[in-house]
Amino acid sequence: MANRVAIVGIGQTYHTSKRDDVNQPEMVAEAVRSALTDAQLSIRDIESVFTGNMETFEGIFLPDHGMAAEIGALGKPGFKVNTGGTTGASAVAEGFYMVSSGLYDISMVIGFEKQDCGDTTAAISAAAVPVWAKGAATGAIGEFAKQALSYMEITGGTEEHAAMVRVKADKGACRNPYAHLKLGLQSIDEVLQSPYLVWPLRLLDFCPQSCGACALILATEKKAKKIHKKPVWLADVEVVHQEPFRAGVFGDPTGKETYTQHVACEKIYKRNNITDVRKQIDMAEIYEPSNWEELNLYEHLHFCKKGESWKLIEKGITEIEGEFPVNPSGGVISTNPIGATPVIRVAEAALQIRGDAGEHQVTRDTKTAIATALGGPNWTVMFLLKRSL
Amino acid sequence: MAKESAKKKTKGPEYIRIKYNAHRPYDWSTGKYLGKVYAEAKENKKLVGNRCPQCKDIWLPPTPVCPKCKIDMGWDWVELPQTGTLYQYTYLVYPLWDPHYGEKWANPYPSAVILLDNGVFYRHWLEETDKEKLKTGMRLQAVWKEDYDERGQGVQDILYFRTIEE
Repeated sequence: MANRVAIVGIGQTYHTSKRDDVNQPEMVAEAVRSALTDAQLSIRDIESVFTGNMETFEGIFLPDHGMAAEIGALGKPGFKVNTGGTTGASAVAEGFYMVSSGLYDISMVIGFEKQDCGDTTAAISAAAVPVWAKGAATGAIGEFAKQALSYMEITGGTEEHAAMVRVKADKGACRNPYAHLKLGLQSIDEVLQSPYLVWPLRLLDFCPQSCGACALILATEKKAKKIHKKPVWLADVEVVHQEPFRAGVFGDPTGKETYTQHVACEKIYKRNNITDVRKQIDMAEIYEPSNWEELNLYEHLHFCKKGESWKLIEKGITEIEGEFPVNPSGGVISTNPIGATPVIRVAEAALQIRGDAGEHQVTRDTKTAIATALGGPNWTVMFLLKRSL
Repeated sequence: MAKESAKKKTKGPEYIRIKYNAHRPYDWSTGKYLGKVYAEAKENKKLVGNRCPQCKDIWLPPTPVCPKCKIDMGWDWVELPQTGTLYQYTYLVYPLWDPHYGEKWANPYPSAVILLDNGVFYRHWLEETDKEKLKTGMRLQAVWKEDYDERGQGVQDILYFRTIEE
């Protein structure tokens, strides 16, 4: 059995479109300092450092090579992970593997992205295999649009339901000091009046490009209890790969169904004897670049039966005060510093378990939570977090 | 003058951004399997995929190893039909930018998932840009670049799929 791993330090920057006041390493250092402060540790206590960033989104490659000083990694083991949208989650998984294997007692994982330095869509399509570059040049939006259409056709859910999800996200973001877009949406009409980007996806149906970083400090059971009064346990992790450009052939050609999410859920829920997700898990921080994707994820992650996810939002079940809150932080649709985004999912779930989420703390007492990540290659990373083991 | 610089000082430091506009050309090896797709498209205006000896699934892009069965695919090629039905589609409303050339996205054609007549799903673009005329289930036919010298871009040698009446 692997060693138990706990999150003992959580730090993130505020998120915004443009940060002229810092360069990339300086921005990342803010999250590192914040995590160290939370853990009451010195950088000298950190044995290894693992980073996650979408290389070339900032126009440069090897961004981690320019920040060993700023993140306290000089002379220490560690490397950068890059797996697309799941990058930050892969970095957290990496840190988990390292600590649970017994190789290190205390590791730090950091996800970051400073999107004001480069052109993300240019990087996606320039880095895509040229065979499919033309398709990739429409970015992720076109794919989510086709999924949204299939969602409406199959489930009977409507644009109004998607708008409800968007308003819910904004309510959370407005209460989260670290969130990027805080729109103060008053009604679903404001969402339904925003212009279409790629039909039927609207401007407000999609995430922003954010600058920001998030750092977590992970420790073994022995160390964790000494470091933090409220360690949060990473009880289980599952990483599932898939063939990015052959994604459609696994089950659903529109990509509405995501093979890797089914695999991840099956494994995590089975290993942990979870049969009734909404009863046995208290809340979730999921990776939803679009409100439509959130509706899909409710089904994929077994929060409800197939075709019924719109009922969850209609009944307010996934609101902050709801029976099963989802993304009280405002989620990815409010804040998306790509490499940091999945780390934030884990961080926010952990804050909820600690009871330290402040204004956006959910009503339900959170002892168990899940955090997920997905990406363009349709990979899935899924975490189960617990207050006590 | 003095007054102006004093005013500037109270604003705090001035942050500097520098610009890079690097041109990054690259050559990309298609390899044995994908190379076959490129060659068939250019030479014969044919769309091909390869078939798994075990599960018989047809893969495009082709693969040397079946992702499902995880066995050697061998060299069994299948010509895909160039007609099919519209399975799902979307269209751009807000123009995106073509990052390769820095121009507004030059492709006005709706992006689609097409169910080819042999049951293989294929992603491409539609000729029909009038969204009122788009409907899932409508019949489609591939339209190729006719000029031999213009072909050589693999699946992009198919300009788009045209609506056909049957």
